[in-house]
Amino acid sequence: MTVRMFALLISPGLMGFRNSFRRSRGTKRLKVFALTIGGVLFWFTFFIFSYRILIYFSSQEIIGDILARHLLSMVILIFFSMLIFSHIITSLSNLYLSQDLELCHASPATLPELFLSRAFYTLLDSSWMPLVFGLPVVMAYGLVYGAGLHYYLSLIYASFPLILIAASLGIMMVMVLVRFFPAQRARDITMFLTLILIIILYLLFRFLRPERLVNPDTFVSVAQYLGALKAPDSPYLPSRWAAELLWAKLIGSPMSQMFNDLLLWTTAAALVVIDIWMAGLIYFSGFSKAQEAKRRSRAGRKILEKMVAAITRPLGSDTSSLIAKDVRVFFRDNSQWSQLLLLGALVVVYLYNFSVLPLERSPIKSIYLQNALSFLNIGLAGFVISALSARFIFPAVSLEGNAFWIILSSPLTVKRFLWSKYVAYLMPMLILAELLIIFTNYLLKVTAFMMVVSSVTIFFLVFGIVSLGIGFGAIYPNFKHENIAKVATGFGGVMYMITSSVFIAFVVVLEAGPVYTILSTHFRGEAITYLQWFWIVSSFFLALVLIIIAVQRPLAAGLKALDNYEG
Amino acid sequence: MIVFENLTKTYSGRKAVDDLNLQISQGAIFGFIGPNGAGKTTTIKMMAGVLKPTKGRILINGLDMAKEPSRAKMIIGFIPDRPFLYEKLSGKEFLKFKAGLYGITGDALHERIDGLLRLFELTEWADELIEAYSHGMKQRLVIASAMIHEPKVIIVDEPMVGLDPKGAKLVKDIFRGWARDGATVFMSTHTLALAQEVCGEVAIVNKGRIVASGTSEELGRQAGVRGNLERIFLKITSGEA
Repeated sequence: MTVRMFALLISPGLMGFRNSFRRSRGTKRLKVFALTIGGVLFWFTFFIFSYRILIYFSSQEIIGDILARHLLSMVILIFFSMLIFSHIITSLSNLYLSQDLELCHASPATLPELFLSRAFYTLLDSSWMPLVFGLPVVMAYGLVYGAGLHYYLSLIYASFPLILIAASLGIMMVMVLVRFFPAQRARDITMFLTLILIIILYLLFRFLRPERLVNPDTFVSVAQYLGALKAPDSPYLPSRWAAELLWAKLIGSPMSQMFNDLLLWTTAAALVVIDIWMAGLIYFSGFSKAQEAKRRSRAGRKILEKMVAAITRPLGSDTSSLIAKDVRVFFRDNSQWSQLLLLGALVVVYLYNFSVLPLERSPIKSIYLQNALSFLNIGLAGFVISALSARFIFPAVSLEGNAFWIILSSPLTVKRFLWSKYVAYLMPMLILAELLIIFTNYLLKVTAFMMVVSSVTIFFLVFGIVSLGIGFGAIYPNFKHENIAKVATGFGGVMYMITSSVFIAFVVVLEAGPVYTILSTHFRGEAITYLQWFWIVSSFFLALVLIIIAVQRPLAAGLKALDNYEG
Repeated sequence: MIVFENLTKTYSGRKAVDDLNLQISQGAIFGFIGPNGAGKTTTIKMMAGVLKPTKGRILINGLDMAKEPSRAKMIIGFIPDRPFLYEKLSGKEFLKFKAGLYGITGDALHERIDGLLRLFELTEWADELIEAYSHGMKQRLVIASAMIHEPKVIIVDEPMVGLDPKGAKLVKDIFRGWARDGATVFMSTHTLALAQEVCGEVAIVNKGRIVASGTSEELGRQAGVRGNLERIFLKITSGEA
């Protein structure tokens, strides 16, 4: 293996990154700038949040340090798991699916050179984000515990072998997976497993109610409380070694430090060697398998498709064909339909949160609280629908991918194309939003008035949210995506989420005052004055105007953008 | 009939297509040839309504593509150079979807789809997802889909890419059949032998401009070269450069 060949193999990726950065101008540069500002803001918010929590912990006698130590262990475990998953996802494309792999494999580069260059890309791609966003937490630890320079240096010293371990494990798992399944199938399986794991972790975390940990009153004894603090770690976990190493540096204890250092570095070195050895055995056969023709899979006839065809028939054959096509593609593409599981988890947790609200123990009169919560719920449900729209509706235009020429060259106008997408997504979102609102209101046992206000408000909000999703998706289309799930995380997706959130907040704020007036006068048995009526009607009218703007403007802007689209 | 009037397309100040004027009569098979980067695909995309011209206009059977795009597209069959399709649909579903875009439904559609699948030897693969098709099969499916609404004008960019000799002969025969039935075929290609064999008239485009047009014989006279289209093409384009 030569260093020159390795450097040559990694150079296209690095040069591509440099060129795209150097040659970006106009909107692209603005996007980079906006994303950087957003990232920095998020970083500092996360830092301040971590700092506040740690300050709170350190103020707790006896258990403060135990809590902080467990939290460090848990945080590093989470980042370690994220690193492994991130490596699994990126190594699949870097080692098996990238388009430039054919060129590399056809070159005289040796297998270890090729494998290591791709592993290097994987490491860069997968590690920067968890590292950047993990940093605020460990930096907050340093600040709270007044750590010296040696702590900050040890962050680099501990994280490097930890990343190497995560990378080696992730790549190893992928090589084994592709050995048994074709790469395309392995990607589907990995995505599916990752999603399931995220959902399980999310549900577990939520159902464990971690907020109780900061409120020791809810536990009968200190022993029980300390028992509940037990983090899910084990002495065999590399994240635990790194956490112990950092903790020792934090509190200035030399105890067991050397042992953890040795464990981390020797494990990392051993796993790298094992990876290279395994690559020699199974990497090329897996890559070769990934080149073979895809499995022949027959398209079945589905009851759902017939239902969709029946419902959309009155909309015209062009719209009906487009919606039927979208439904088919959605349920045949594992990366799309599997996100429904995430949706399910989100809804379950959302409803669960309402079912465990301790309304009866609240110092505020229950009937006020129930109605206030119900009102707040309009905004929350709106945000849930926005988040789902970012996943499913914002990418709806980009979903056409490279096949968008079919739409452009057909007699279907862009206006009708956007309209079809709008209609297709509006119905399920309306049903979901209404179910969420009605069910949560039922759990809150709200008054009939609040039930009507929240159901009607969410009904109209959904029209705006869906329009914003389709509109922003058309303004920021990505027809050249390799994975549709990534479209939502781009600049356009972020802009959509911000705009949609602001829109919901405005509508809720506009309605809050009038609704409070109606409720309070009702409970006090007073009559509403003319002035109050004027204010109520004006506010609701303004909310309606805002909704109309939110429906009309994004679709019009999206239409203009797609009309001028030049690939 | 296809007409270009002062057709121009500019990308960031650079003219990809520069003031094209052309008239192609009904029933003709017209070849559009030129070196890489000459502006062929840009012209084709503007004709198909996928790209907007910066200046000038395109008339398809008298319909202005800018003013009546839906009506113009209704009579066009477009075959792009790269067969990007909906990979998660089956071949049959794709043809049905394409027919839906042109407002074609009913029982006759199924017969038409079956006929096209038979013609392009895709019957066995009709219910397979497109992701499992080879490049050539995808190309045949795209050509079949362009025929689904029996267009009067066929715009095709590099028709032979990915086709085996049998498929290539089939496509040539189909083009000739369309022209006989009164349809106009506008074909961009690098395969000069194909242009010479199939096209009645040819235009050579270079740096966005038409530098010569006419039958092969007329082009030969213009270039002062005897022989096949390849020699004529090289003489004209190298003279231009």
